[in-house]
Amino acid sequence: MNGLIRAELLKARAGRTTWVLAAIAPLTCALWAVLPVFLLDLESAMPMEHRVENVYNMAQQAYVFTLVLGVLAMTGEYRHQTITWAFLVTPSRSRVVAAKLVASGLVGLAIAVVSALATLAAGAALLALRGHPMMTPQVPLVLLGAVASTTLYGLFGVALGALIRKQVVALVVALLWFMYGDYFLSSLLPDVGRWLPTGAARAVGGMHLESGALLPAWGGGLLFAAYVTTLVLAARLFTLRRDIT
Amino acid sequence: MSAITASHLSKDYGDVRAVDDLSFTVESGTITAFLGPNGAGKTTTLRMILGLVTPTEGAAAIDGRAYTELEKPITKVGAVLEATAFHPALTARTHLRVLATAAGLGHARVGHVLDLVDLADAADRKVGHYSLGMRQRLALATALLGDPGVLILDEPANGLDPAGIHWLRGFLRAYAHEGGAVLVSTHVLTEIQQIADQVVIIARGALVRQATLTSGTNLEDLYLEATR
Repeated sequence: MNGLIRAELLKARAGRTTWVLAAIAPLTCALWAVLPVFLLDLESAMPMEHRVENVYNMAQQAYVFTLVLGVLAMTGEYRHQTITWAFLVTPSRSRVVAAKLVASGLVGLAIAVVSALATLAAGAALLALRGHPMMTPQVPLVLLGAVASTTLYGLFGVALGALIRKQVVALVVALLWFMYGDYFLSSLLPDVGRWLPTGAARAVGGMHLESGALLPAWGGGLLFAAYVTTLVLAARLFTLRRDIT
Repeated sequence: MSAITASHLSKDYGDVRAVDDLSFTVESGTITAFLGPNGAGKTTTLRMILGLVTPTEGAAAIDGRAYTELEKPITKVGAVLEATAFHPALTARTHLRVLATAAGLGHARVGHVLDLVDLADAADRKVGHYSLGMRQRLALATALLGDPGVLILDEPANGLDPAGIHWLRGFLRAYAHEGGAVLVSTHVLTEIQQIADQVVIIARGALVRQATLTSGTNLEDLYLEATR
């Protein structure tokens, strides 16, 4: 199993896509942090501490990159037909997917940490510049939560790619779902939203919402992990065993 | 025990029976030519032997065990399936290293197989820039990575230049001479006739002829008569 994971990491390192997305992720997070800092000038019912924490919460915006990398890691094997070699070396298809989950988790973790640090630097600098409080006791937890949720999205991407083998379809489904479907549902119906993957991930990151409470962080983490597990099991049942022609 | 055993292999795709009750064996130290018209079910059969396609009925075995049950399968069986199955952004060396790492093999084998197929000079170029013949040689290198005793090759001469074909013929002959078993599908009858010990001919998924080749056999006549 160790060899399989190392092989997956070797593939991830060798592809340029990994490095490009890993470079853009922290920049995106830093940019996202600008908006909530400027919103601090407006009136809000939300306590100042929460609003400051939401600045650092933008570290979660790296999710889209780990999600896409996870989808690419799995579906790329089908797209380039390298899945044939993978299954010839390791006929246990579940082990191939398991190694991908672990490797994508590690790659996602690295991107998540760098993105959290970038958010921290940009957020703190901007807050200081605008004369707002820079820290709250919760900020380290917020950043840790963002790291956890960003990492989990990478696993989600692998699981989704195992279920939907066509790369373009899997990418479109993932992006539409998280950037629009889940996002709007969560915003419009918070009671439903907290049980959706986005709501679960936001809970892990400890985001403060204007309306509707999220699950506790651990609950969100378990729920998100349950979504990933469900996708993996569905892949195992429906697509993973299909003939490789 | 035979190196490769196909017993009553059948495969249905919807209403179409792609492979129909196909049985044959390949012994160690021999080369078996696997022939048949386009669409006869050769590729499907090879993929069933390799555990990539699940048979509707029947089973296949390598040294008596199903491919999926083999311990470190690429050290037992090497396979060349499609010339294009590489990630275009990886170099040949990285491609081989990835698989060697996944299989728990030493990286020394990577350099060895690159030398063997004469790709050492191009090993650090991206596979996306390779010619068809170079890809084919990389596929052969991949098949040989685990130093297997059985080779399963689907159209291995595809895209090879005359020197490459000459090399492949010599290589397979030596491989079988040293005790290896080879199952090779091809359409180039004059080529395979020079090295094959046995021929298995299928048409519409079913076995139509199995014969031992002797120096007097005209393989083309045999093939045309069997598949008529």
